[in-house]
Amino acid sequence: MSEVRCLNCLKRFSVRQKAETATCPKCKTKYRISWPTPNQAKIRGLA
Amino acid sequence: MVQKRKIAYINLTTKKLSQKAMPKKIRTMYIGGRGIDMYMLYNHLKPKIDPLSPQNVLLVGAGLLGGIPCLGSGRCDIAAKSPLTGAVGDSNIGGFFAPELRFTGFDHLAITGKAEKPVYLLVKNDEIEIKEASHLWGKDTFETQTIIRKDQDDENIKSLVIGVAGENLVKFANILTGMKNSAGRTGMGCVMGSKNLKAIAARGTTPLEFAHPDRLLEYCRQMNDMITSTRWSKAQSRWGTMIIYSNTNTTGLIRTRNFQLNRLEEGQDLEPENIDRYSIGTSGCYGCAVHCRHRYVLREGPHAPLYGEGPEYTSLGAFGTMIDCRKMETILVANHLVNKYGVDTLETGGLIAWAMELYEKGILNDKMTDGLKLEWGNEEALYEMITNIAHRKGFGNTLADGFKKAIAKIGNGSEYYAIQVKGMSNLHSDERPTPSFALGIATSTRGADHLRSRPAIDMYGLPEDLLEEVYGGPVASEYNSYYGKPRMVWWQERLYAVTDSIGLCKFQTVFCSVHAPQWKEFSKLIQLATGVEISETQLMEIGERIYTIERLFNLREGFSRKDDNLPERYFKEPTPIGLPVAKNKKIDREKFSKMLDEYYKLHGWGNDGIPTAGTLKKLGLDKEPSNLI
Amino acid sequence: MQKMLAVDPEKCTGCRLCETSCSIYNEKTCTPEKARIRVTKWENEGIYIPMVCQQCDIPICESVCPMHAIKRDSNTQALVIDKELCVGCRLCMQFCPFGGIGVDDETKKIIKCDLCNGEPICVKFCQPMALQYVDANTLNTRKRRAAAKRFSDILKKMLATI
Ligand code: SF4
Ligand code: SF4
Ligand SMILES: [Zn+2]
Repeated sequence: MSEVRCLNCLKRFSVRQKAETATCPKCKTKYRISWPTPNQAKIRGLA
Repeated sequence: MVQKRKIAYINLTTKKLSQKAMPKKIRTMYIGGRGIDMYMLYNHLKPKIDPLSPQNVLLVGAGLLGGIPCLGSGRCDIAAKSPLTGAVGDSNIGGFFAPELRFTGFDHLAITGKAEKPVYLLVKNDEIEIKEASHLWGKDTFETQTIIRKDQDDENIKSLVIGVAGENLVKFANILTGMKNSAGRTGMGCVMGSKNLKAIAARGTTPLEFAHPDRLLEYCRQMNDMITSTRWSKAQSRWGTMIIYSNTNTTGLIRTRNFQLNRLEEGQDLEPENIDRYSIGTSGCYGCAVHCRHRYVLREGPHAPLYGEGPEYTSLGAFGTMIDCRKMETILVANHLVNKYGVDTLETGGLIAWAMELYEKGILNDKMTDGLKLEWGNEEALYEMITNIAHRKGFGNTLADGFKKAIAKIGNGSEYYAIQVKGMSNLHSDERPTPSFALGIATSTRGADHLRSRPAIDMYGLPEDLLEEVYGGPVASEYNSYYGKPRMVWWQERLYAVTDSIGLCKFQTVFCSVHAPQWKEFSKLIQLATGVEISETQLMEIGERIYTIERLFNLREGFSRKDDNLPERYFKEPTPIGLPVAKNKKIDREKFSKMLDEYYKLHGWGNDGIPTAGTLKKLGLDKEPSNLI
Repeated sequence: MQKMLAVDPEKCTGCRLCETSCSIYNEKTCTPEKARIRVTKWENEGIYIPMVCQQCDIPICESVCPMHAIKRDSNTQALVIDKELCVGCRLCMQFCPFGGIGVDDETKKIIKCDLCNGEPICVKFCQPMALQYVDANTLNTRKRRAAAKRFSDILKKMLATI
């Protein structure tokens, strides 16, 4: 589990370990995810 | 201060060399690095000199804390009057030069005059020699460093060098050390070229002494832990500064096709993650635990084999989004070219993107570009333009003079398309949705510039109580807002001025992470390293003094409030695409003007942007020039 | 269990935090020249190799020293110099294949890594963990061979492309 900050509504939300996509629960923007470290996710781009 | 540090004066015309101990007063008022460089810039230059004349002074200043084992302490500040803008010329360079310079016993060099023939400076433990450099003239930046090492039979020499762009007086030629570390902006390489100075080589073995070595060592370790535990640094350690692209391109904050779009829609190949295809590992500057760049190898294709370092986020925009090139490989090749020729990546990309838009609009045509098809995404044209700029060939010669002259030459409404301030290109960032960033590029003392004041943490929507605690006054959490943003810019300006003066890396202070070291930690580092107590408040005042003397320099050169402005398009054209937070945004002229008023007021400057007599007195600037060094 | 200072050049970023911290720890000044660990670089090819005494099982330095000034510390197993005995002849320096031995220009005596009494400072500063202080045990020799092979491979790879 790691958190990312939605780039649209700036809400922090959690991302499943190793996930490659995630959706912001608040504004529903869908992202592709990458992992700079095994425990830290970041947004890679729009899904 | 326990450190017995010196400044050397070198006149290349008369070949006269002299040195002086750094007066304590200068240290406590301006610290080192950029601060002392700015003091000298204001003091040594007569107003309105030609930046390419022998009267201009090239200042090289190591940071006060250069050499300590933390926070990227290898930073060196290089200053002169800028041939690109006519304003403050100043550029900060990482790598390994500054500590090596300090090991020679010198912290600062002030170089004036002009050598008759190409020369380089060799600074070795307490001794400075002016050496013949005819055999180096015409060599690229990498070869130059290698040859100097061979000539001196010393692999440990660290050099600041110029490439052919500097020799050819390209107005935005840079100074390079190692494979990629550059004093990129404001044309410091052009000033070196104008002095016939090909390189400054340093090699020293003099110990750097500290007031409390054991405690300093332990505290430095804490500092490294502090920075590397931030989320930002972890990502940066992995993929370098390119990670900014993930946020800006996804959101729609990135100049695309010069300024027509604010996101590269099919920009997946430029995602930082793709550097893994070419990387053989990361690389760090002296004393850096973050290591924000990659060592990359191109093994295939017409440009292989090629080894380079980087690319920075800057190059992703300069040779990617701004000109609509969508391949990582293009970035790697172009990045290598600009480093090899010694020309600023950002200015080069900014000018080429502008030229491409002019070409599209018909303001430029094939005849004017010597038949070069300056079409979006034409990577071959990109490589050729870079080469032609560096060699001042054909249309490259027009662009090599920078925006001011090129606009005058091309005319025909071309100015409207130029995304520049005070004659210097903006980064590929699109500041229309972020008033704080917009104010920063408008007011920066060196022209459109994200490194003088950018409050990058504004992007995170941090809670307002936290922002108030950091910035010392109310600031809106939303980055679209104008509320409190001048305060952010003002605070960051002072912090970065001090960071550049103690000689630490900006990425390791409050730039992209609010949890990074700042005033308190800097004050403690200074105390442990030098034994001198400078409080947090005093550090802020030093930052203010440095920024104000830069302002005084620009005022003296004829700049005024009207130059603290944005390109017209920021007010007229709303952003066409992006996430809702970034779409359909432009800067409100009236609100911008109010921000400016507020910003001046925070500095203690009048509404005309001129520091008041009271402010000057308070900062001890009322008797400048004081000519202490 | 016996620990060793293991170097993994593939992880090294060339930051020289090891050199700097080593010299401040041992000399109380920042003087990379006197650091017991040095990073050798081929800057134009991007190869960085930290060089430090390997505390060899069969130390050449010890056997060539005419004064028997190099001894193994019973606690850390580091080879340490007895400054009283060392006459500064530099034979050890000439024979060490790893450049693990240096000379202090001022005192003219030998300087080398003594593993900081079992807590090497460089390891604490090396963020990418190119330096680790790990259990060596009987694997010691094999590990070193594996490491040596790996970086000779990198070298070959690099030389083939550049
Ligand atoms: S501290 Fe680690 S990464 Fe830095 S130079 Fe030394 S071995 Fe390499
Ligand atoms: S100094 Fe050299 S020979 Fe001696 S133990 Fe170290 S690596 Fe081996
Ligand atoms: Zn959201």
